[in-house]
Amino acid sequence: MSCGERDALTSLITTLIVIVLFVLLLLGQHAAGDFAGSDGLQVWAQSVLLLVCASIGIAIVVAIVFHIAYSTLTGDKPDDRRDERDRDIDRRALTFAWYLLSFGILGVVIDLALGASAFRALNLMLALCAVSELFKDAVRLALYRRGA
Amino acid sequence: MPHIENRIRRLRFDAGEITQKDLADRVGVTRQTILAIENGKYAPTLDLAFRIARTFGVPLDEVFTFHDD
Repeated sequence: MSCGERDALTSLITTLIVIVLFVLLLLGQHAAGDFAGSDGLQVWAQSVLLLVCASIGIAIVVAIVFHIAYSTLTGDKPDDRRDERDRDIDRRALTFAWYLLSFGILGVVIDLALGASAFRALNLMLALCAVSELFKDAVRLALYRRGA
Repeated sequence: MPHIENRIRRLRFDAGEITQKDLADRVGVTRQTILAIENGKYAPTLDLAFRIARTFGVPLDEVFTFHDD
């Protein structure tokens, strides 16, 4: 498994963990009525910033655990070299994710124009970012698996 | 549909059965990239194509051939 493929897999795992944490935290706060007050958006933004910081730590932990598990299970010394094929796959995956994000944002703006609340729009944007990140990593993995 | 064929497997054999890993190290890419090129799944950049040809000491068109089917 190349460095790029391992990166894609660890990024996918990290994103899934972060999404679960986001959903649990935000739904919990929503149920507790934390976003209901006049400072609801401020509380929401603080929670999101906290989780963004936490996600960096999670990414580091997942990468280390995966690196150790991979070395132990395969007995290989992982090759950390990235080359033109990795960059090509990154670029192609990023292009797909960018289209998804762009059309998604357009959808959110249309939703806003039809009367949706700013709170709903922000949550949709956040979900879009997460989904496009997942999509990007899934496309990267698919391209690596296909041998592209 | 146009496609690029290559003779890397043959050239590796002729050069003393050098491994994909050895070739990858010599041209500065991963073994997976050499594998993908050999299987026709990835078309290398001109830069890498020339480096591969130079490694075997042959002209570029002895490594890669373009087919416009």
